[in-house]
Amino acid sequence: MIFTLNTGRTIQQGNNVEMKYHPDYAKEVSRCHMNPLDMLDLGVMDGERVRVTGPAGSVVMYVVQDETVSHSTVFVPYGIYANQVISTETHGTGMPDFKTTEANLEPTEDSVLTVPELLRALGGMPYVA
Amino acid sequence: MLHEDVVCPFCACLCDDLKVETDNGTIVKVDNACDLGNHKFLTDDDHRLKEPIRRTPSGWTSATLQHAIDRTVEILLGADRPLLYGWSGTHGEAQSIGVHMAEVLGGVIDSTTSVCHGPSILAIQEVGHPGCTLGQVKNRADLVVYWGANPIEAHPRHMSRYTTYTDGFFLDRAFKERKVIVVDIRRTQTAEVADEFILIKKGGDYAVLSALRAIVRGKSDMIPATVAGVTKEQLLRIAEMCKKAKFGAFFFGMGITQTQGKYKNIRNAIELVDELNRHTKFTLTPMRGHYNVYGFNEVCTWMTGYPYAVDFCRGMAFYNPGETSAVDILARKECDACLVVASDPAAHFPKDAVRHLGEIPTVQIDPYPNTTTAFCELQIPVAVTGIDAQGTSYRMDGVPIRVKSILNRGYPTDTDILGEIYRRIKEAKRV
Ligand code: SF4
Repeated sequence: MIFTLNTGRTIQQGNNVEMKYHPDYAKEVSRCHMNPLDMLDLGVMDGERVRVTGPAGSVVMYVVQDETVSHSTVFVPYGIYANQVISTETHGTGMPDFKTTEANLEPTEDSVLTVPELLRALGGMPYVA
Repeated sequence: MLHEDVVCPFCACLCDDLKVETDNGTIVKVDNACDLGNHKFLTDDDHRLKEPIRRTPSGWTSATLQHAIDRTVEILLGADRPLLYGWSGTHGEAQSIGVHMAEVLGGVIDSTTSVCHGPSILAIQEVGHPGCTLGQVKNRADLVVYWGANPIEAHPRHMSRYTTYTDGFFLDRAFKERKVIVVDIRRTQTAEVADEFILIKKGGDYAVLSALRAIVRGKSDMIPATVAGVTKEQLLRIAEMCKKAKFGAFFFGMGITQTQGKYKNIRNAIELVDELNRHTKFTLTPMRGHYNVYGFNEVCTWMTGYPYAVDFCRGMAFYNPGETSAVDILARKECDACLVVASDPAAHFPKDAVRHLGEIPTVQIDPYPNTTTAFCELQIPVAVTGIDAQGTSYRMDGVPIRVKSILNRGYPTDTDILGEIYRRIKEAKRV
């Protein structure tokens, strides 16, 4: 099913902004908030996982039931997980489509990668003190 | 020791009424801050990078400050098109060294503006900025509109210091008199406290703004029954509330700058404010995020004439967001070295832009290890402005505020490190 991926700030994302290797950061920014009716259509329950695939690639996230999210959109706190699917296209403005990326969601049994795993996949070497 | 009137270096509300208690070089208590501010002060020490680090094929190892500076200078001098990115989490004095450095190097300098309120600036350049200080809003506004903004989560004290929950000098019973309108595509926490909440369909901002403009112009007969999911009835009611207000303040967030239409949405919002000013007094302010992201725009504008995304490769300042902005330059693999200061692009840029950071020599100057660290060759830790460094910062309404240092943790400041790198570059270039 195709959804519009909307990203944004949350208190928890803000609190963890200086501690990106902490599991709390990953926990917050790997949550895909969905409307309960859309969850029913997709056949997923709160806490289960979805593979989110967009123009830049795909990533697995946790489903969070959220009545405040509108039908056919999903909300993901701004961060490294959402950025796995968002393209670098800025339409000549410098600003990628952080709130309007079309993404395909499907239920999955695959696990959610950790932040260091995502960094390694992009060629990075995580620093752990 | 109790420090009063401390400025919070987290978001661009720049609350300057904090009380912070320090004991033996540690922060033990913070009063008046929100959750985000508290967290920033109280957990800061736990996350700091203790010394400069260098990446080797087998892992990270410590480096001397001298080596880190030598290598940074070497990388920057050896690059044809260095990108100097970040700048929102440091003070204006360091930002100004960055702009000088970009000029001498013939590089590109950009700040996090390009991925937050860059579109707002593009719109302001087209049609102007009907702005005012937050003090005016606090004391006069009887109507506040938050459009695509969720201050309860992103700027938690915005409503209690400047709008909804604060007293106003020219308002008798501010709390009762002040009305709040929230416009969003989801029912945010801020929407819960609104007098009127407009739920619009995704991507409908432009259409709803146009409809409101038409109504305010007296052309309501041409409005269809619903516009992007909003009923005509509600639109008429909102337009009336705006026209009747004595002083309206429009705040907008990334819900409107990052959605489709981008800067054209903001242009439309500014033109709505312009329209409303034919009936009453209305102003507009972007909800800037990082505590000094606005500062970079000020500093860069007074130094180069442009607010961000400035390219010096022609020997003079050239500005063309979409071409000279960081995401585009990284996506095109155009830069051959990168200096990241006070931001974390690896967490906030699309992954294909991030990948290029790891393919070129990248150096980061930042107090904390973050996701960008993983793509760097070197990281130099510095003091945190507002905790152990002082400097000038600009609030979201453009008011400069002196941010204090409340203790000494023994780190050099951004100004110290960048100043030394800049001195060495000038020496090598004989300028
Ligand atoms: S609202 Fe912003 S500046 Fe004020 S205390 Fe909270 S985080 Fe700090």
